[in-house]
Amino acid sequence: MSLWTLLMTPFVKNAFYAVTAVAFAAGLVGYFVVLRRQAFAAHAIGHIGFAGAAGAVLLGFSPLAGLLVFCLGAGLLIGLGGASLDDRDAVVGVTLTAALGLGVLFISLYSGYANATYSILFGQILGVTVGDVWLVAALSIAVVLVISLVYRPMLFVSVDAQSAEARGLSVRGLSLLFMALLAITTVVAIQIVGVLLVFSLLVAPAAAAEVVTRRPWRALVLSTVLALASAWVGLFLGVWIGGPVSFWITALASLSYLVARVGAGWRAHYALASV
Amino acid sequence: MTVLSLRDASVVLGGRQIWQGASLNVEAGTINVILGPNGAGKSTLLKAILGIVPLAAGEIEVLGAAPRRGDVRVGYMAQSRAADQLSTLTGRDYVGLGFDGPRFGWRRDATKAATVQRALELTGTLSFADRPLRTLSGGQRQRIALAHATVFRPQLLLLDEPLAGLDIAAQAEIVDLINLVRASTEAALLVVAHDLNPLATITDQVLWIARRQIRSGAIGDVVNERTLSELYGHPIEIVVTPRGRRVIVGLEEEFAHPHPHGHDHSHEDVHEHFAEVYDEVTR
Repeated sequence: MSLWTLLMTPFVKNAFYAVTAVAFAAGLVGYFVVLRRQAFAAHAIGHIGFAGAAGAVLLGFSPLAGLLVFCLGAGLLIGLGGASLDDRDAVVGVTLTAALGLGVLFISLYSGYANATYSILFGQILGVTVGDVWLVAALSIAVVLVISLVYRPMLFVSVDAQSAEARGLSVRGLSLLFMALLAITTVVAIQIVGVLLVFSLLVAPAAAAEVVTRRPWRALVLSTVLALASAWVGLFLGVWIGGPVSFWITALASLSYLVARVGAGWRAHYALASV
Repeated sequence: MTVLSLRDASVVLGGRQIWQGASLNVEAGTINVILGPNGAGKSTLLKAILGIVPLAAGEIEVLGAAPRRGDVRVGYMAQSRAADQLSTLTGRDYVGLGFDGPRFGWRRDATKAATVQRALELTGTLSFADRPLRTLSGGQRQRIALAHATVFRPQLLLLDEPLAGLDIAAQAEIVDLINLVRASTEAALLVVAHDLNPLATITDQVLWIARRQIRSGAIGDVVNERTLSELYGHPIEIVVTPRGRRVIVGLEEEFAHPHPHGHDHSHEDVHEHFAEVYDEVTR
């Protein structure tokens, strides 16, 4: 089978649509994750979702339903409990370990085929169905739409919560909204790269973009472009060369961050040398 | 014109009375410095004026009405914006958030760029406005924060510790800028400070908060031995240095320890300190 016919098979096409949708949501939400220094929360929500998925499988529900419930619940809990910076890490850490413990319990209780667990942990991009694509696309469009509407207040609250509050914004309300967006994006991204690697798609492109440009608008666009590029090229390499697609996507996203850091370092070095 | 007035105002936070029975007026075009020990309720006063903290009793009138969050006629510069030190945001973008940061939706305002530019000009920040906040000095960041707070030319401007953490030269620059903002906008300014000395020459009124009371008046009417001794219920001496700086003796523990509770200082302990707590810079 030639590469072209391989790329045109339904499962690769579905994967392509799904990664595209996910990359948009992850690139945009990721920018705010980096700006708000909430990478740890992003990391935790995925792992907490794992407990939900394992629980759902145990009870005979769809793992996706368990993911949604647990990720949203965890997001709102973190948003409510950790509104102040001081205790946020503790709140996130405790919620994370409690949920992971539950996940371990659920897996040990589940005597059936462990394939579902495996695909939640590592993603199953090439097993995405048409129904998954529609769901992922709908959730991603909702996330992108909401972010475009709350972009300015979210930016304001993220960089200067006190002034934003004085100007009439609800810091807690926006924090909760953000955690909900993050949770939904995490659920969607888990479909593609899995719980263990979701972090890379959410954080690496945005972190790279923040290194390259200081304007928020450009960083948002660049973050989305990098997430898209990692997802598309990663999918292509997975089909062409082989190996897990989630590995390729993760590797490319991380590479983009590395290149951005090294590039910024060189730029600073030569700027100093030329003075 | 009276921009701000408090009548018998009290604030209770978490069951604790912060201050009570406060009555004072603030006039347009004046600079009013809020002083007092840590935890006395200086920032709380600003938050009550902003409508963030409700009064337990009495009333506040801001520009002829009850305080309302989001009133653009009131500018606010928050204390120690920790995110500044990490932020890759440029000063111009941060000032822009003062303009349309609270606004939801897709609509863009065509007057934004010009309004932001004017605020940057007024505060003399144009030369570094396009650099990331984290690459700026403390004084430059405070100037940008002032531009952010004055973007709508407020009639009442609240500054929470604008001189904190700055060296003497930078403090003097910010003091000049505060005076310039007063002159060019005719706003009433409330400035929370730890040290009256750098602000003394431009101060019209002092609001001193201690022991749940607020005393207001000209510097000489408040910062004198009788009023302060009365306010603290403890003998206070004021020493004027040859260069005219006032050193307050008898408040050592109020200023030396941010949280005096839990420290058991004996009476002798207080007097062992010879002098000077008032001028934080020289310590």
